[in-house]
Amino acid sequence: MNPRVRKRLWVIATYVVLSFFAFIYLVPFIRSFIASFMTWEQASAYPPQWIPNPFTLINYVKLFRLELFPRWILNTAIYAGIIVAGNIVLTSMAGYAFARLSFPGRDALFSALLALLMVPAFITLVPNYIIIYRLGLIDNILGLALLGIANVSSIFLMRQYFLSLPQEVFDAARLDGCGPVKAYFYIALPLAKPALGAVAVYQFLGAWNAFLGPLIFLRSPENFTLPVGLSFAFARTMWTEYTPIIAGSLVAAAPTILLFIVLNKYLIRGIAITAGKG
Amino acid sequence: MARVLLKNVTKRFGSVVAVDNVRLEVKDKEFMVLLGPSGCGKSTTLRLIAGLETPDEGEIWIGDRIVNEVDPTERNVAMVFQSYALYPHMTVYQNIEFPLKMARVPKHERHRRVIEVARFLGIEDLLNRYPRQLSGGQQQRVALARAIVREPEVFLLDEPLSNLDAKLRIRMRFELRKLLHDELKVTTIYVTHDQVEAMTMADRIAVMNKGRIQQVGSPREVFEKPQNLFVAGFIGVPPMNFLEGTLVEVEGRIKLDLGEYQIEVPSNYWSILKNHVGRTIVMGVRPQDVYISIKPVKGWYKAIIVGYEPLGTETYIHFTIDKKKDYIAIAKDVDTIRLGMEVYWHPNPNRLYFFDKNTGKALY
Ligand SMILES: Nc1ncnc2c1ncn2[C@@H]1O[C@H](COP(=O)(O)OP(=O)(O)OP(=O)(O)O)[C@@H](O)[C@H]1O
Ligand SMILES: [Mg+2]
Repeated sequence: MNPRVRKRLWVIATYVVLSFFAFIYLVPFIRSFIASFMTWEQASAYPPQWIPNPFTLINYVKLFRLELFPRWILNTAIYAGIIVAGNIVLTSMAGYAFARLSFPGRDALFSALLALLMVPAFITLVPNYIIIYRLGLIDNILGLALLGIANVSSIFLMRQYFLSLPQEVFDAARLDGCGPVKAYFYIALPLAKPALGAVAVYQFLGAWNAFLGPLIFLRSPENFTLPVGLSFAFARTMWTEYTPIIAGSLVAAAPTILLFIVLNKYLIRGIAITAGKG
Repeated sequence: MARVLLKNVTKRFGSVVAVDNVRLEVKDKEFMVLLGPSGCGKSTTLRLIAGLETPDEGEIWIGDRIVNEVDPTERNVAMVFQSYALYPHMTVYQNIEFPLKMARVPKHERHRRVIEVARFLGIEDLLNRYPRQLSGGQQQRVALARAIVREPEVFLLDEPLSNLDAKLRIRMRFELRKLLHDELKVTTIYVTHDQVEAMTMADRIAVMNKGRIQQVGSPREVFEKPQNLFVAGFIGVPPMNFLEGTLVEVEGRIKLDLGEYQIEVPSNYWSILKNHVGRTIVMGVRPQDVYISIKPVKGWYKAIIVGYEPLGTETYIHFTIDKKKDYIAIAKDVDTIRLGMEVYWHPNPNRLYFFDKNTGKALY
């Protein structure tokens, strides 16, 4: 076979496979999207119907009539904001130190930190709970955020990024009069924008969708984040029908999806950075 | 006064001795070139002077103080890196201004000096551009500007021309020397592995190999009076021919026995070589000083042509004596030369070098 035809066929096959999987992943999402504009009777009918009739916004109206819903959005935004800010500030400093400064025990410390990645989150849950409890921060968004303001994968990503910057630029800065702190602010940080973007996006997605942590550390409904709030509404059958909850999930997912569309180049770059040198 | 003095400086990386007991004095306002093959420790030497590395042993003096414990920022040296190391996120203006800003020079003063240096180097039109928008030659000027603007006492340059194309390199090596040596008159240490650069730019050359200084001297000295086999073989294009043999005395005449035949040693070298009769000696002769004839000449030696490289104005002729080792001669008129041809050669009797095979030292 002529290599160009072969290449063409290969591309077509790749697309077919990718489209198939994309379709499988997308079906529930498309279904939810359509159902959110249906009445509950129609959405629960069998066989399933695919065209809203009548087209209705009542689910969204019900959602926003729920007093706690805006509160949950705000809570989630605060939580995600603290996590993102904390990670940007703290992990870029830690990553810089691991990549660019030499101090005794640096490599051992870094290995220890990486080993933490292998500890399942469930194991640290109880000790963390006790710490937060002693601090009197249970049922408090701040207490919850405290647990996530620095993250090993973010540190790793920042370190890899700083390692990938040319040593000579830092040497030049040193001769130009920069100590380690000035070099961090004037050289490392401005050059780290792509990595900081990746950290911010990952942490935002993680925080916005977090479920287990908020579920355990938050008690009162008015302190809930969106995912926990929605499941609470669902479990308490605040509505007798599921369509408002479907609408709620879509609202909750909207920033994530938007972010992904706008910033997917950062996400991919983040993966590329981590895959770079060891 | 900014002479630079390295006193028995050693730097190791693990088991690698990058700089081995180096002693080097660079005089005030001198243009010193560190020349040597890749990996011989040139960059490490420069980085030691800059303070980017700390020596394991020895003292480093700049001016009249020991700087071993002095932070790089306080040494008043500027360095131009091989990759130029411009700050990618700053404009040309900000790049040049940066060292002044770090030194807390007031803003209007900074502005004045940046503009002045940019004019001086002919880059005032580029001030608003980012490094990625510049050609290699322009980046190099910016790197120079950033180094000059601080008015350092010592200038360190690490292969600053190696990223430029051949033509620009020839122009820049002339300009750089003019700028640093004739106009700014600042002590300069310039690293290169290109001997033509070294020969054309240096006041003095320090030839390095395997972390050690082999010889320090003016370009003429290292070319005409190499102190050992390494320097003799490293300096000169194409490299010097080395013929190894035993020194013998036959009927009162000193000859070099190559196995195939014996080469007559001209009498002007006898006094030096008398004491070495019976030892293994390396005779050196530059390709420029080898004469080739296709007709037999009395007293000339036989050889076989194994190749030739025409270069336009001259031709490198590769010939062999023992079918094992090649030697090179430079010839102008080569129309009749053919591969495998038997020819006759002779060295210029006044331009020979002799080295002790064991120590590698030149015998003068
Ligand atoms: N940071 C380092 N860690 C370990 N070894 C190093 C380090 N820097 C240099 N070396 C080693 O020290 C030796 C000298 O290196 P150096 O960079 O000084 O050579 P150079 O003469 O500048 O070579 P080149 O012409 O290739 O730049 C080399 O063997 C090199 O591998
Ligand atoms: Mg080097």
